[in-house]
Amino acid sequence: MTDVKAVEEWAEAPLGRFVKESGLRLSLLTTTSGQVVAQYGFTKSLDVMAAAALGAGVVSSTALMCQMIGEGGLVRINNRGHAQGIFLGEFDTPRGRHVVLAVYDSGSSAGLVQLFFEDLVEEITASCPAPETRRVILAEDFERELNDNLAALFGRK
Amino acid sequence: MSLVNFTNREITCKIVYYGPGRSGKTTNLLYVHRQVPADRKGKMVSLATTTERTLFFDFLPIELGTISGFITRFQLYTVPGQIYYNATRKLVLNGADGIVFVADSQARQLDENIESFRNLQENLLEEGVDIRTIPLVIQYNKQDLPSDLVLSKEELDETLNFREVPSFGANAIAGEGVFETLKGISELVLRRLGEEGPG
Repeated sequence: MTDVKAVEEWAEAPLGRFVKESGLRLSLLTTTSGQVVAQYGFTKSLDVMAAAALGAGVVSSTALMCQMIGEGGLVRINNRGHAQGIFLGEFDTPRGRHVVLAVYDSGSSAGLVQLFFEDLVEEITASCPAPETRRVILAEDFERELNDNLAALFGRK
Repeated sequence: MSLVNFTNREITCKIVYYGPGRSGKTTNLLYVHRQVPADRKGKMVSLATTTERTLFFDFLPIELGTISGFITRFQLYTVPGQIYYNATRKLVLNGADGIVFVADSQARQLDENIESFRNLQENLLEEGVDIRTIPLVIQYNKQDLPSDLVLSKEELDETLNFREVPSFGANAIAGEGVFETLKGISELVLRRLGEEGPG
């Protein structure tokens, strides 16, 4: 299995299969607001977030433009560069709409990625549970921890 | 909508800096970017016009550290302030866990502040969010300008802060008030997460 890092466990195996079968270099599963659900191939966690924010932005703005011209449906975008291509696609799950970003090189193709993307959508739709309602239990003095962390971050300690 | 991983104990929250054009939203993020050490921040992404005005959004992810046993990350976004970019403002606002409204303290900008605040209220409503329920703080930027040009924090509170949310005077270029503002919204967002859970 590929080395997928998942925030949500249900996303790990389907994204892993998608990466392996499509021969991807990088892949991301995010919410439409750009929150990372699972990722493959990124080395720095905070850079993943930048890619997620950009991917979600591209998909949401394209969806809006489609609405403006009277086209509904889910967004699928493919950009083939000289050495690498980017595929972006959105789909619905029991936890709302999600976005997949896939980066591939000459070892794969847009057609292959789109083909396995449809499998990924089916798998995730089947494995994704309803939204979790667990609460985060914060320590009574979480403000102190927060203040200490922020002060350290801003070099005030 | 914040994302919480209970297995790895990680929290990720989305904070949006909102406000009229040239009020200092990007300046806030640039100051945070300068202050935070490299290993605690990601790349700052700016989708701007050739004249450095925000076109779509600025984005800066930061790692706050561990809070109540959770590794806590914040994603900071700005929206474009100009009135004609409302479509993209709505997209960026989608899924926000907290909002920092950055107002321009100059007296001549008061109408723009009111218009932008009203626009925030409308855009949230379209997303099904009541402005009275989402974590919100207000920053009155440019308080360093000559006193005859700017309104005081109290005067601005009177006009804009009907919810009596935490408000902060600031001079974002010099970094004054930036830290306090981020601290203020962080507290509200985390407290709400503790009360209501993710999403």
